[in-house]
Amino acid sequence: MGENKSDVLQGTLDLMVLKTLEAMGPLHGYGIARRIEQVSDNGLSLNQGTIYPALLRLQQRGWIKAEWGTSETNRRAKFYSLSRIGRKKIAEETENWERIAGTMARFLAPSN
Amino acid sequence: MDLIRILISRSAALWRRQKLDDELDEELRAHIELAVQENLQRGMNAEQARTAALRGFGGMTQAKETYRMQRGLPVFETLANDLRFGVRQLVKSPAFALTAILTLALGIGATTAIFSVVKAVLLAPLPYKDPGRIVAVWTANPVRGSQPLSSTPGDFAIWKERSAAFEDLAPSYDNEHTLTGQGAPQFLIGYAVSANYLRILGVAPALGRLFTDMEDSPDGPKVALLSDHLWRTTFHSDPGIVNKVITLDGIAYTVLGVMPRGFDYPASVELWTPSNIAPSAYTDFNHTYIRILGRLRPGVSLAEAQKRLNDVEAQVAAAHPQTNSGNRVVLVPLREQLDGDIRMPLLILMGAVGLVLLIACANTAGLALARNAERQKEIAVRMALGATRRRLLGQFMTESLLLALIGGAGGIVLALVGTHFLLRLFPTDVANLNIPKLTQIPMDREVLLFALGITLLTAFLFGIVPVLKGMRTEASAAMKESSRGSTSTRRSNRSRSAMVVSEVALALMLLTGAGLVVASFNKVTNSDLGFKPDHVLSLQLFLPPDRYPSENPVKRRQFVEQVEKRMNTLPGVQSAGVVNFLPLSGFWGTTSFLLRGQAAPKQDQEPEADNRIITSGYLRTMGIPLLRGRNFSDADRDRGVQVAMINQTLAEQYFKGREPIGEELNLGTADKPDWWQIVGVTGDVKAFGQDQPTHADIYRPFDQLPFPLVAFTLRTETDPASMIKSAEEAMWSVDPNLPVLKAIPMDMLAGQTLAVRRASSSLISAFAVLALVLASIGIYGVMANAVTQRRQEIGVRMALGAQRGDVLRMMMGLGVRLTGLGVAIGLIGAFALTRLIGSLLFEVNAMNPLIFSCAAIALAAVAMAACYLPARRAASIDPMKALRTE
Repeated sequence: MGENKSDVLQGTLDLMVLKTLEAMGPLHGYGIARRIEQVSDNGLSLNQGTIYPALLRLQQRGWIKAEWGTSETNRRAKFYSLSRIGRKKIAEETENWERIAGTMARFLAPSN
Repeated sequence: MDLIRILISRSAALWRRQKLDDELDEELRAHIELAVQENLQRGMNAEQARTAALRGFGGMTQAKETYRMQRGLPVFETLANDLRFGVRQLVKSPAFALTAILTLALGIGATTAIFSVVKAVLLAPLPYKDPGRIVAVWTANPVRGSQPLSSTPGDFAIWKERSAAFEDLAPSYDNEHTLTGQGAPQFLIGYAVSANYLRILGVAPALGRLFTDMEDSPDGPKVALLSDHLWRTTFHSDPGIVNKVITLDGIAYTVLGVMPRGFDYPASVELWTPSNIAPSAYTDFNHTYIRILGRLRPGVSLAEAQKRLNDVEAQVAAAHPQTNSGNRVVLVPLREQLDGDIRMPLLILMGAVGLVLLIACANTAGLALARNAERQKEIAVRMALGATRRRLLGQFMTESLLLALIGGAGGIVLALVGTHFLLRLFPTDVANLNIPKLTQIPMDREVLLFALGITLLTAFLFGIVPVLKGMRTEASAAMKESSRGSTSTRRSNRSRSAMVVSEVALALMLLTGAGLVVASFNKVTNSDLGFKPDHVLSLQLFLPPDRYPSENPVKRRQFVEQVEKRMNTLPGVQSAGVVNFLPLSGFWGTTSFLLRGQAAPKQDQEPEADNRIITSGYLRTMGIPLLRGRNFSDADRDRGVQVAMINQTLAEQYFKGREPIGEELNLGTADKPDWWQIVGVTGDVKAFGQDQPTHADIYRPFDQLPFPLVAFTLRTETDPASMIKSAEEAMWSVDPNLPVLKAIPMDMLAGQTLAVRRASSSLISAFAVLALVLASIGIYGVMANAVTQRRQEIGVRMALGAQRGDVLRMMMGLGVRLTGLGVAIGLIGAFALTRLIGSLLFEVNAMNPLIFSCAAIALAAVAMAACYLPARRAASIDPMKALRTE
């Protein structure tokens, strides 16, 4: 475990999941977790288990759908994919996040 | 949007927990397997692969728990757990549960039932435009008994012109009619109103139209508006009634419209006609027959309008001192006008039932405290196992709420039954009571909300005490205490004692109030009406002016004479007589009089007496005693001397010891005297009910003054109600076209007069008994519990030499102290409260010491009995057994 791993910020996990599904198409929980780890280049201290409450939360909001399918290991696994609402929300959430990130960046920039 | 979706999804999850859990397990197993697979591919051995997979996943149980919290509705799940536990607790102690639920059901049921009446009567929305600004305007004058009564057309005209406080003022007056041509002839209570009268009320007709100002003029067309009731019954809901012609008093009237159902002001009116007041009448300050309705200007208060109108009337009185001196204008809001005499009794009953509810709360709180004391150990164990205080309090509140809700549901059932009986407060078809008509008491949304509201309130009131106590519980202390099983803590004793004291105090207040009301009711029913109402049948009629015109007195006289003769010969009839204004009937009229030989009083102080016109058989039939002088006789008809009888009140008030017989009364004016010679003095009759003051009465013979309102009275040998048919037939054999206004035995009429008083008296006694029962259950429960808790202490005392008598004295001593304190507080409360029930009292002082002490003694006796049983049980404890059991 590296010293400079960051905790996942509240609310960012949802967007990561959505973006993952947008890029990869239908995916099971393990796949999503691995993808997030890979994209962050193992820079996040993510307990893979925490992905499941996030997936449930998104499902409850109607942003993603879940279906049972067959995994690479030939086992029943739940596959998640974006819903119509979810696709729309990605744009909104992205914009939202960029605004926050931009604001933070201005604060962190060395003052002139 | 999101919120709703989330809620639906979460609630749905509550019902499929098992299946969802299984699915989650499967999904997570698949996750681990995929991770293991990948790790194996990376070259780990089986063991390493599995460990790494699990490490990567993080806490499995934690993830599942978070997932479950996210999935369902945790608050509800806790609540459901608490409820399940609560139900189990209640089932485990059925005696406690049943007592508490029954107590609450009685308290909530009684309160809800009374509230449903209050709502239906005092709070029901009035079907009029902005009813808060509508007022009835009355004139009160000391010479007319200072009662708010009708006004003169002259006063009305000036008030309308000069009072800026009103948007509008409108006149009206009684106008009875006989309807013919629609089956049997029918006597109709009619009302003549100006066109703007109906505009002030803001009612629209259900059919047709109202009359216009043009139609409301002395030479206007003969038009009429029908009540919904008249249209439905007599006219069989004829949809084409508008513009049809009906016959009233032999004259053709065109029906303009039908008023909506529920339009009932003034009560019982069946027909409205234009007032048709001639402009010349507006200079008349003598005849008081105009009833005025007004609409206040926006922003003008009742008191302000009343003051301004009285200022105007002061000017009128200065200009017309003979007629208007001493006049006071009284404004009555429409709401109060409609509520009449039922308002105060209802408010008093609402207060009484509120006390019952408080007792029920105190009772349940006492029981809950006692039971929680028994549960100290359970609570201590749960706290030791890590239950937070908040969680425990939630549990307590849930249990209280559960009890209250079951009790509340029972209460609503009781209230439904109760409202049936409460309807008896409102006898329909009673002319002599000023109360609103009420045919049903609906248990509607507002009433149910009220029931729910007081249920929650009671849950709070009786739940809060145990909860507050629970807050102080320390796990270790509680465990120690209950394991030692010694005397209960001082603190728990104190709150339970407070419950006993407040129950005793509340019950005593109610008992005292009920005692006063019942004593008053007994006084009223036992007080003499001045006539013997049993075995007397009355038959009221109205002689229609088209066939019995006032210009033809002979016709009226002949009719009455013949009917009276036939009634006298009916089998089972002892005697028959006639009066114009039947006592207790709600009809009455007055006449002013002057005495001869006295300095003529100032004209504005002419005394008034009730005007009674009778046949010679009337006094005997009614059982009114003739105190001095003689009754009227047939000879008076042709003798040419006008004769009269007076009642004792008039004799005492105006002759003051002088012999009135032979004296003369001037029933005209000073300028145009109309002399009547007094030939007899009769006993007083309470013509308005036993609880009303006696008026001065002047009796005159029907032969000399044939009046169009006629009430036949018959003294019967058997049940008077069984004679109605034959009496009516005797009347119809003389004139088959006369409607009977009302046929009713006099004792029934007397009973109806007391309906409100009787109902409120029996209701308030019922509440007092209920309070007494609840309080004694509460005291018994608390005392019995105290004995159980102090079992070992008592055992120790007895082992150390205390006698049974000592133990009995010790336990009774506690009861006596608590009861004594409760009685003292209750007496103070009763002193403060009984002043509020003055309107239900009759010849009984609100501070009557006898009733106060009787109530205190009765309550103390019941409380002592409730204490004695547990105390005796305490005294019969076997010390050996008590010490051995733990």
